[in-house]
Amino acid sequence: MELEGSEILEVSPEQVWRALFDRAVLERSIPGCETLEQTSATEFSAVVKLKVGPVSARFKGDVELSDIEPLTACTLSGKGSGGIAGFAKGSARVTLVSQGDKTVLTYRVDAAVGGKLAALGSRLIKSTAQKLAGEFFTNFKAVLLAEGGAEVGQTHQDIGAGERAGSAL
Amino acid sequence: MTAFPDTQAHIGQAHRRQNALRHIAGRGRFVTDIVLPRMVHAAFVRSPLAHGRIVGLDVEAALRAPGIIKVFTAAELNPTCTPWTGTLDHFARMTSIAQNILADDVVLWAGQPVVMVIARSRAEAEDACELVVLDIEDDEPVVDGALALQADAVIAAPGLSSNLCYGTVLETAGVDRAFAEAAHVVEAEFVFGRHTAVTLEPRAIIADFDASTGQLTVHQGTQTPYQFQDVYARHFGLNEGQVRVIAPDVGGSFGMKLHVYHEEMGAVAASKLLGRPVRFVADRLEAFLSDIHARDHKVTARMAVASDGRITAMEVDDLTQVGAFSSYPRTSAVEGNQVIRLMGGPYAMPDYRGRLSVVFQNKVQTSQYRAVGHPIACAVTEVLVDRAAEALELDPFDMRARNVVADNAYPHVSATGYQFEKLSHEACLTRLREIMDYDSLRAEQAALRKQGIHRGIGIAPFVEITNPGAAFYGVGGARISAQDGAIVKLTPAGDVQCMISVTEQGQGTETIIAQVVADQLGVAPDRVKVITGDTDTTPSGGATWACRGAGIGGETALRAGRKLRDQILALAGQILQADPGGLALSGGNVIDAVTGAPRMALAEIGRIATYRPDTLPRGSDNSLTAVHHFAPGGYPFDFTNGVQASYVEVDVETGLVKLLKHWVVEDCGRIINPLLVDEQIRGGVVQGLGAAFFEECLYDDAGQLTNGSLADYLVPMAGEMPDIEIAHVETPTLDTILGAKGVGEAGTAAAGAAAMNAVNDALRPFAARISQTPMTPVRILQALGHI
Repeated sequence: MELEGSEILEVSPEQVWRALFDRAVLERSIPGCETLEQTSATEFSAVVKLKVGPVSARFKGDVELSDIEPLTACTLSGKGSGGIAGFAKGSARVTLVSQGDKTVLTYRVDAAVGGKLAALGSRLIKSTAQKLAGEFFTNFKAVLLAEGGAEVGQTHQDIGAGERAGSAL
Repeated sequence: MTAFPDTQAHIGQAHRRQNALRHIAGRGRFVTDIVLPRMVHAAFVRSPLAHGRIVGLDVEAALRAPGIIKVFTAAELNPTCTPWTGTLDHFARMTSIAQNILADDVVLWAGQPVVMVIARSRAEAEDACELVVLDIEDDEPVVDGALALQADAVIAAPGLSSNLCYGTVLETAGVDRAFAEAAHVVEAEFVFGRHTAVTLEPRAIIADFDASTGQLTVHQGTQTPYQFQDVYARHFGLNEGQVRVIAPDVGGSFGMKLHVYHEEMGAVAASKLLGRPVRFVADRLEAFLSDIHARDHKVTARMAVASDGRITAMEVDDLTQVGAFSSYPRTSAVEGNQVIRLMGGPYAMPDYRGRLSVVFQNKVQTSQYRAVGHPIACAVTEVLVDRAAEALELDPFDMRARNVVADNAYPHVSATGYQFEKLSHEACLTRLREIMDYDSLRAEQAALRKQGIHRGIGIAPFVEITNPGAAFYGVGGARISAQDGAIVKLTPAGDVQCMISVTEQGQGTETIIAQVVADQLGVAPDRVKVITGDTDTTPSGGATWACRGAGIGGETALRAGRKLRDQILALAGQILQADPGGLALSGGNVIDAVTGAPRMALAEIGRIATYRPDTLPRGSDNSLTAVHHFAPGGYPFDFTNGVQASYVEVDVETGLVKLLKHWVVEDCGRIINPLLVDEQIRGGVVQGLGAAFFEECLYDDAGQLTNGSLADYLVPMAGEMPDIEIAHVETPTLDTILGAKGVGEAGTAAAGAAAMNAVNDALRPFAARISQTPMTPVRILQALGHI
């Protein structure tokens, strides 16, 4: 399954970039996210509760950031297991382009599901994924705006993580 | 039969199913209705991946879940039984890996059971399944049969050297010359989608092992209780006499419920280990993921015809795509084997080459389902016959009339080696032409075409394999009964009971057996109680498969009934001091065979033999129970034949097909019950049309089934089905006294072929052709070049 989209965010690419690597922001943005832990500079583990059609499940999964081009692009890839509900795996390439004082975020997702999710929810998967992407960005924008841009990334450790990730390249 | 006035013959009369009233009254008793003391429930953790290696399995949290009795993994459950391997000796070089209950180390299809959870309730078992942590490292799955045979292909299961399960070639000497000399050669490529049985009642089992007696009782929704008695005894190391399999009411089976499944073996194993009744009932998703699927063929075929319209040869290459292993105990190779052997069945075609490749892939097993192989062979043959007729500018009826084996040319051996005793293709074609008013229909079609309404007419003659002897399985070493048995007894009050090995899944087996027995004993069928489906109370037999209930079961009942009749008449002769040869049974009485005058009631015979045997002459035999087993002799199979026609309207803008009418002319030999025969044909036609237009198990590239619910998997609905008009030709087999052949699969055999020809006939003005099932609107629009 492939999914593409773009969002215009009313903040600078630097702010978006920091937020993308900010555990607290992500935790508040990911729909159904129950916990999100950062396990290394570029790795997170998450527990997310989702409902796809008739299947609802708590997914435990890991997300890794790679192919990082600081302030420009990165790839998030992950795999989540929903127990008997099945699994989801995939990757998303996120690209940031500055547009005045705004940022255009473009994403391209390639994902696959298996098990009960595939068997029962296939007709609903894409629409659900689109809905979840929409919810994510709604939440993400809200967090960005609420925290006034500069406030984002208050957790120094997380900023550091992002910087380390960036500077490592 | 002269002893019985025609007015009392129940064979040949329409009788409603005896059990219909009970079902309508809500008094059906299915496995799911059975509640046993201390019964526990099973649910399974299934592989979410089509192919992979188990790298982590943690059941600790599940063990602590509420209501949990036990959580089994392969390590504990599998050693309780011996593995099973689905091969047959007469399929040379056939191969398959052995199966056991739970996946150990590797998983081979998405849906394969990995962990079995036993709890107080199914809900608690399912909740605990969610707590099992299963980590699988995925391997590339084999999802396409054609690619699976390439040299560098991924192998579907460990232990296989290639993905070829079975391959064979069948050919006559003159096939190449026939093609070289042909006036026309027509060819086509076909795809026949995977579909499944979708029984109203899903698979269901309660296994009840009593450690104190060593007795295993299994309540199972199956069509073959004796086969499962044998399987459970052998694989669980029990004496056969200690294994009782009871099939209560069964809500549809269609071949799907005669295969060995991991879950059923798991229920028996768990019951043996726990000493408690263990119940497993598949939910609908589990049914889609684990019931056998059917068909899944890719076929390339060509046909050679002479300038006078004679079909001189066919050449066929069938790729049958099965699961990662062959089903047990009947194998997954029989479907393909029948595909290549049934090609051209109705025709006097002299030459043939058929090549079969049965190929493994990482999907659930495919295996025998109603009309095994027939719809594929029939569709391939009949689509090519229509194309040949088109090339020769012959009418489809005319083309077939020139080629069917003449009614007076039997016995006949087909180019593929099948022996036909006596068939009636010519009579059936003539009858079909009458009942469908073919010429008017063609005129109507032509008139409507001018108005932009595109209707099509398709016809499809067929042969159907029925009344099989041991040729199917017994000769290949499978312990599958090729005979049936019946016990018929007269009760002291003069009623009749018949315990018989053929079984009932809603088709009316018990009713026809009552009719047959009633006629032998001169009673009404409602005085004959027929008891089926219990290995402890009925004689051993093959039960229900391959259209054998009426032909073999009926003959068994007839002969057992005649044995009892002779016993009754001998006893009556002694009581009446008359020659038994001058007596007969009719109207519940012993009568004078010549005058028809009643001599004594059956109830009186029962009374004397049971309560006053002291009044009988010394040494007389007071037995009022007879038993008989019947194994079909004569021809290896009693083939039936018939012809179907379909009339459709294709909306060339939307690709939607409206099924306007369907006709079947069928020759199943002696008809025992015309009502039930017609019901069997109609049900079969609907299942054939389901595969032709609606039903398909869809998989993605990762081997994931993507439509495992009735929201997405389409089954034929009453509103979409056409009226189905049926007529009969009766050519009784001389292999038996009864003369009946099977009819359960005839409808399914040719319905899809007739429909495919009808759709192609409707598309003819657009030079569009379709040769893939199901014929969905999208595929029809693709054929039209619209998308």
